[in-house]
Amino acid sequence: MQTRFSWFNVTSIVLGFAFLYIPILLLVIYSFNESRLVTVWGGWSTKWYGSLLNNEQLLTAGWVTLRVAFISATFATILGTLAAIVLTRLGAFRGRTLFSGLVFAPLVMPEVITGLSLLLLFVAIGMDRGFWTITIAHITFSMCFAAVVVQSRLLDFDKSVEEAAMDLGATPVNSFFQVTLPIIAPAVISAWLLAFTLSLDDLVIASFTTGPGATTLPMKIYSQVRLGVTPEINAVSTIMIAFVTVGVLAASYITKRSTMKAAADARKAQ
Amino acid sequence: MSEFASPPATATGAAPPRSGPRSFAPQSGFSPWKDPSQAPIVRFDNVTKQFGDFVAVKSCTLDIYEREFFALLGPSGCGKSTLLRMLAGFEQPTDGRIMVQGKDITALPPYERSDVNMMFQSYALFPHMTVESNIGFGLRQEGMPKGEIAARVEEAMAMVELKPFAKRKPNQLSGGQQQRVALARAIAKKPRIMLLDEPLGALDKKLRQQAQFELMRIQESTGTTFIIVTHDQEEAMTVASRIAVMDKGNIIQVATPNDIYEAPKSRYVAGFIGDVNVLEGKVSGITDGVIDIEGAVSGCHYKTRSNEPVSIGQQVWLAIRPEKVRITHDKPQSAINVVNGKVDDVGYLGSISHYHVKIGNGQRVTALRANTAMTVGPPISWEDDVWMDWPTEAGIILTS
Amino acid sequence: MRRWYVIAAPYIWLLLFFLIPFFIVFKLSLSDMARAMPPYVPVFDMSGLANFFSQLDFENYTFLLSDPLYINAYTSSLKIAAVATMFTLLVGYPIAYGMARAPREWRPTLMMLVILPFWTSFLIRVYAWIGILKKEGLLNLFLMNYGIISEPLNIMNTTTAVYIGIVYSYLPFMILPLYSSLEKISPALNEAAEDLGSPPWRAFWQVTFPLSMPGVIAGCLLVFIPATGEFVIPDLLGGSETLMIGKTLWSEFFNNSDWPVSSAVAVVLLLALVVPIVVFQRMQQREREAV
Repeated sequence: MQTRFSWFNVTSIVLGFAFLYIPILLLVIYSFNESRLVTVWGGWSTKWYGSLLNNEQLLTAGWVTLRVAFISATFATILGTLAAIVLTRLGAFRGRTLFSGLVFAPLVMPEVITGLSLLLLFVAIGMDRGFWTITIAHITFSMCFAAVVVQSRLLDFDKSVEEAAMDLGATPVNSFFQVTLPIIAPAVISAWLLAFTLSLDDLVIASFTTGPGATTLPMKIYSQVRLGVTPEINAVSTIMIAFVTVGVLAASYITKRSTMKAAADARKAQ
Repeated sequence: MSEFASPPATATGAAPPRSGPRSFAPQSGFSPWKDPSQAPIVRFDNVTKQFGDFVAVKSCTLDIYEREFFALLGPSGCGKSTLLRMLAGFEQPTDGRIMVQGKDITALPPYERSDVNMMFQSYALFPHMTVESNIGFGLRQEGMPKGEIAARVEEAMAMVELKPFAKRKPNQLSGGQQQRVALARAIAKKPRIMLLDEPLGALDKKLRQQAQFELMRIQESTGTTFIIVTHDQEEAMTVASRIAVMDKGNIIQVATPNDIYEAPKSRYVAGFIGDVNVLEGKVSGITDGVIDIEGAVSGCHYKTRSNEPVSIGQQVWLAIRPEKVRITHDKPQSAINVVNGKVDDVGYLGSISHYHVKIGNGQRVTALRANTAMTVGPPISWEDDVWMDWPTEAGIILTS
Repeated sequence: MRRWYVIAAPYIWLLLFFLIPFFIVFKLSLSDMARAMPPYVPVFDMSGLANFFSQLDFENYTFLLSDPLYINAYTSSLKIAAVATMFTLLVGYPIAYGMARAPREWRPTLMMLVILPFWTSFLIRVYAWIGILKKEGLLNLFLMNYGIISEPLNIMNTTTAVYIGIVYSYLPFMILPLYSSLEKISPALNEAAEDLGSPPWRAFWQVTFPLSMPGVIAGCLLVFIPATGEFVIPDLLGGSETLMIGKTLWSEFFNNSDWPVSSAVAVVLLLALVVPIVVFQRMQQREREAV
């Protein structure tokens, strides 16, 4: 087994990651720029972060976004987990093909189409547009991502563990809550995190399905970006990036620690 | 282990300390299948299972009796696991009925089959629970009082010597320890029938032999009916009171290990259990239970004692175990049950040697010889011209 | 039975909020525009099937066909998405290859580094490029500072900027499937090919690349499908010359408030993507069944 880096591999990885990270890095650095002109470096400053605190509109939009993301991620995880169970555990039923199509189509559907079609639905049924319509729209597409994450975990764990639970007298419902759910918990948590960030990120679908009084942070950022690059937007972006980075790093640290612990346990058992 | 020990006639305490084919029945006189007044504890009644177009089990009928250690033996894909999983309730038969103690349980889901528990090939231990709570899982499902659960778990752990590991998680255990947790977890429910699906498949050879005797000890001391699925013929011969040999969804033969080895009913069974030489021929005479056969190799005549109903001129096969074939340089005096050929290959295995000899029609016949100090004459080597013969009792007539 | 509740909850949700809206889009694309709120003549009061069909009119589609703007937007979206997908593959393959052949203990970290940008906001990542690519942006500043160019490059608001944006934003989608199929290929296969007399580059083309095909196809589809309908990238980085159908739909809807025409655009866009989406679904299906 080849385990050393070759120079070609190192070069392609380094160049690739430079491409992926330099734009983000520049954005973060320039959020600390004293000067209002984005391309002129005027020395370090945190004044744009200070001015964010006084930007009432941006703060409101941020709060709306977090609430939408929290509620939609929670419902999307529940519905997505159910969908994953349907696809992996319940076997054949009438309409299964349509169902699996419905679960996987939103993953690749252009956002403009999803957004437009949901808006037309809300208009057709006469639902007032605003916070709840955005939330429903976000549940709809992020439940499909959640379903895929949970499904792949359900597919690769030993089904006989569930059979063993039933063999020992647990009803299907008991066996789900006592055995299956604890085992797939990490996947359910990452499904929730994914749904949460997808909702935080979304501009297009929210723009279609929103109504008066419900402006999300991406919508606010977008409308300002169209007017040009500003250090203030760099500052908001940096906060969002930091938020997500800390979350992802923490999650991966936790998984890494638990896999290392499992490996150490396995060694101890020998 | 007071509660587990029932006083059956077969509980001899220790397992017989010998390996190889063990004939359970003659030792203890335990053979309920011969007693028409005995009711079977498990009955497969014309059971068929289809997966789409594939027929996994073809109208199988099989009775298994209380306290039996019953083995389902066959190559992978022969339907043995499917049969077991239908008894556990994980698969529904396409046709037929499954009875336990005279009750039809075909439609019951697995969690309502309290008489039956299973030990899984992958062990299927709950990774998020300790050894203790794995073993107590089934008892908690019954809503048993806590104190009672603790006592039962303790007892089960003592039986498989797991007490020091009670607080560990499955991934902190070795393969052998995991296997014992899986066993204890099923046994703690005190089922009447214990199903074991390739229970020792993941263990290495030495550990497997140990575990086989442990299974036998637990089976005898608890008086539970064990049904084991295995593809390992040695394992089946070692542990089982009776073996059902399966092939392509059919049960080919059900018999004690001794009968399976000594009196296989077909070439398939003879070939599956141990090595065997099969010689083709036609029946040329029948006198007083001795059958004369005209061999397919010209000039060869065989004679064998058999009660097999055959008629003159019928095509038959004669099966002879290699250890019953004598191999020499000199031509034997009798001309019956003798074949002549050239040594093609010699396999030296230490205590014994295998001799593969090519005979007239190009077929290979194998003889086994123990390498004892008593072996006389020059050693047999490649390309030697040799003679092989066997006694009239050694050959088995097979008609299929 | 309980089983039906488990199926019903996600099923009904998706029927109600994913499938039915499509029929509404389809229906609306066949109705007339009106200056009102909502800005179309409602056709939901279906008083019978015959009535429904008599109301259908393909005016919007004829309009799309007659106006070269839409046809151009349609073909140029497909072209831009296809070219960008090819560039993404060229950039992504060496990275995925390097990762798959990196020391085992490095791989989870590298994986995480690829996924991390995917978790950060799409909009922000596209926005980051504005500051780099614009006329007085960081790229021109850098290149002119070192005397590589004397005149600033005009990249911002061109199709080139859109290509860069797509490659950058969708790179993780390309790398991940590529990596997972490359990682499955044992290095022993290459060693065997070299042992049998094939130089490394030929071993790559004859062994590694064909075996990584599932990853290549999955990665390309994952980039091509969303890139075709992309709105944010052409809107922020592209100029007036860059026509993409997602952007057309957006402006038709938000700027012209022409809901029926935007519905018709959506239907046409969906038709363009039906084939790649179905191919992708089939592949996923096969992979899931192979497990």
